[in-house]
Amino acid sequence: MEKILDKKRLDDWAAALTNYEVQAPSQEDGIWGFQPVNGPVRLDHTNTKQPPKEFAFPQREVFFTFEQIKGEAPRLTQVLPQAPRHAVFGVRPCDGRGVPRMDKVFNDHVEDTYYNTRRKNVAYVGLACNKPPSANCFCLSVGGSPVSTDGLDVLMTDLGDRYFVAAVTDAGKALMAEAAKVFSEPSATDQKQVKQAHAAAVAHPQRAVNNPDQAPAKLKASFKSPLWDELARACIGCGICTFLCPTCHCFDINDEVHGKAPLKGQRVRTWDNCQFPDFTMHSSGHNPREGTGARLRQRVGHKFQYFYENFGMHQCVGCGRCITECPVGIDIINVVNKVAENAA
Amino acid sequence: MINLKDVRDAARDMLAKGEVRAVIGYRRGSRGMFAEPAFLDRPEEADELVWDPTCFHNLSLYLVHDRKHLAHAGKKSGAPVAIVAKGCDARSIVVLLQEHYFGRDDVYIIGVSCEGTGVVDERKLARHLNGAQASNAAFDGDDFVFTTAQGEKRLPAREVMADRCLECRNPFPKEHNLVYGEDKTGRQLEAPFAALDRFEAQGAGERWENWARHFDRCIRCFACRSVCPMCYCDECVVDSITFPISTETTADEKANRIRWIERSAARSENITYLMTRAMHLAGRCTDCGECDRACPVNVPIRLLNTKMEKEARDQFGFEPGASIGGPSLVASFLDKDPGEFIR
Amino acid sequence: MSEQQPYEPKIVAFLCKWCSSAGSDLAGVSRIQYPANATPITVPCTGAVSPMYILSAFNKGADGVLVSGCHIGDCHYLEGNYLARRKMYLIMKLLDFIGVEHDRFRMSWVSAAEGAKFAQVVTDFVNDLQPLGPQDKLKRAESK
Ligand code: SF4
Ligand code: SF4
Ligand code: SF4
Ligand code: SF4
Ligand code: FES
Repeated sequence: MEKILDKKRLDDWAAALTNYEVQAPSQEDGIWGFQPVNGPVRLDHTNTKQPPKEFAFPQREVFFTFEQIKGEAPRLTQVLPQAPRHAVFGVRPCDGRGVPRMDKVFNDHVEDTYYNTRRKNVAYVGLACNKPPSANCFCLSVGGSPVSTDGLDVLMTDLGDRYFVAAVTDAGKALMAEAAKVFSEPSATDQKQVKQAHAAAVAHPQRAVNNPDQAPAKLKASFKSPLWDELARACIGCGICTFLCPTCHCFDINDEVHGKAPLKGQRVRTWDNCQFPDFTMHSSGHNPREGTGARLRQRVGHKFQYFYENFGMHQCVGCGRCITECPVGIDIINVVNKVAENAA
Repeated sequence: MINLKDVRDAARDMLAKGEVRAVIGYRRGSRGMFAEPAFLDRPEEADELVWDPTCFHNLSLYLVHDRKHLAHAGKKSGAPVAIVAKGCDARSIVVLLQEHYFGRDDVYIIGVSCEGTGVVDERKLARHLNGAQASNAAFDGDDFVFTTAQGEKRLPAREVMADRCLECRNPFPKEHNLVYGEDKTGRQLEAPFAALDRFEAQGAGERWENWARHFDRCIRCFACRSVCPMCYCDECVVDSITFPISTETTADEKANRIRWIERSAARSENITYLMTRAMHLAGRCTDCGECDRACPVNVPIRLLNTKMEKEARDQFGFEPGASIGGPSLVASFLDKDPGEFIR
Repeated sequence: MSEQQPYEPKIVAFLCKWCSSAGSDLAGVSRIQYPANATPITVPCTGAVSPMYILSAFNKGADGVLVSGCHIGDCHYLEGNYLARRKMYLIMKLLDFIGVEHDRFRMSWVSAAEGAKFAQVVTDFVNDLQPLGPQDKLKRAESK
């Protein structure tokens, strides 16, 4: 299904989605983030600081609550997410490609009920990047593109005063069907213009990972390379690169106690982070990933080698967030290129 | 004006003579114009050094890293490590020396003056460059000059400088072994604590509304802690490693262990974390601004720290990082300390 | 709501064992009437009260936090209360800065002989806390 949406009617589409909680990028305190729509939708964002992964994988998820009255058996009550149906507007194609990667992680071997319950309630409405929104975008290097539909339910392309709106999935068609009246049929000119816009977007220069297809083998051969320590010398071990990554998914599980008599609380899953020194810390005090080099290797290896070995695709989708946001300039493109160049 | 060649020559010389184990400075990064931390071990690397308005990092953090590595490897320190330090960075080093984190002979301070200006605030700069990408930044009197694809872009420094630099009273590293650039101590582009005063002019209700929003936004990435040279504790109250678990630990003990702060990035926990941190930095934070800069979600952490700094100055006559032999703020007192608030 | 019982604030009171803790006992044995809102936590000296305790008490749901110790000059460890005075001043200012009501934190000097003063301090604190209602700014919420 391909339609034309006059920019002036974008709000009408959003308003028609009464069965959804509509989310769109908005800026608060200088930060672009997805917020429930309340007012006009303006898709003039660069990229959001945080990817849309929170809709299926929030930073905090309650698994169950527990309560124990002294002398009695503990009572556990499962808490399934009560997430509303979400329609998320303004998703960049790289972040869209993050979705199927997360789907794999949470459904390989074990199906994660919490993730899946949320996930099936999210529709991702993408916005093609006519021009890469960041100097550190490199989607083209990792099999993506600024106009990729992978993982999206709808892809919108900005044609000046109107959007070219293409449904990608049935969920996307349903989203468009909710407001059939706001759309019109694309003309031959529209079709031509969208092709031109997409061709220009793909032709736009980007930074690049050299020979990305060879990266998995090169990284594999470089496990013991001294370069890891060298490249990670400035790393401060914060969690920015992973917390903001659309495909990082590691988590921790804790019991949070909210009362002692009776003992009660919640078992919660929170994001965790391979760059934190305590991530691999054993209770003996031994840490198998002792230094920042080993941790950088883990992160980059996961993105460009291990995930590839497991699922046949790079886990990195080239959004560039970890590069832009790193306070000390650790640059995954540079790291992969340097390590690969020096591989045995 | 600092002549970069002088700095490079000095670094090369020290490394060649083996007077220092390494030189920590700045070099051009792989992402556009921004400088990044550089670690030079060999004299021939000295030409990598740069000095420009994007040298915002407080490198003294890496002196702390170095000590931790040495301690872990059970090594003695040997020759000192040289470090390029701005005024605020040098004051951090003074605090570390004051706290005996390392000795004065363990560090060789290559001081650089910020002269009339200071360093850029990436966020302010992004607003001014309006999407344009710059490949180089340079000091030029009261201006910063950026090289972009569209040509040279000159901006008055004060429009894109970090708040801390606008308010800085001492843009010169008083504690140093070598120093480059002119001492412009006393130059003042904005009143000290100007940003804090602006914030404090609001009523308590508004202050809370603002902070509630900021605290909610924190994702607990701990970049603020990781980037801070003063946050050197091996165990922090927020980490899970503070509770040793063995095969003997019962479920009850696990459930009942003291956890000051939960892992969840919830408002209450974020507040406890950030307020604890601010308290722990009172009298130690030298306003290098790194925590504020590093925060990916713009939590104005600097306000918490400067609030403590201002109280310390006004009430206790205390200046962080002023002298190596001076007392610590919270381990000292004066008879005339305020006490009227106590019943 | 207003017709019902007045709201009873929960106070966590960090009391120095050499003075205020004994002062509170004295208030009790002297049968001085004062509200029973304070949960006492005995500490060896006010100097041992970390600002973290204050934050943690609020985090776990205290409506008000009291720190009470020996008068200046009377600290068993000579300097503990001087150090506490500084630290508590700073945390008080920080709480105020983020917009927590000023009256939620209080400090007092109460000697072992001042049972009546202790009762007064608690009574005043309760009176000042009542109009503020429950403290929910720093309190850990049982969220979904
Ligand atoms: S690794 Fe970095 S560039 Fe790749 S998807 Fe994650 S945040 Fe984006
Ligand atoms: S705070 Fe002062 S010394 Fe530090 S970078 Fe800014 S101007 Fe220089
Ligand atoms: S608290 Fe922030 S400003 Fe202060 S020394 Fe640490 S990093 Fe620098
Ligand atoms: S305040 Fe900012 S830098 Fe610090 S933990 Fe929170 S999000 Fe991270
Ligand atoms: S012993 Fe009471 S305050 Fe120090």
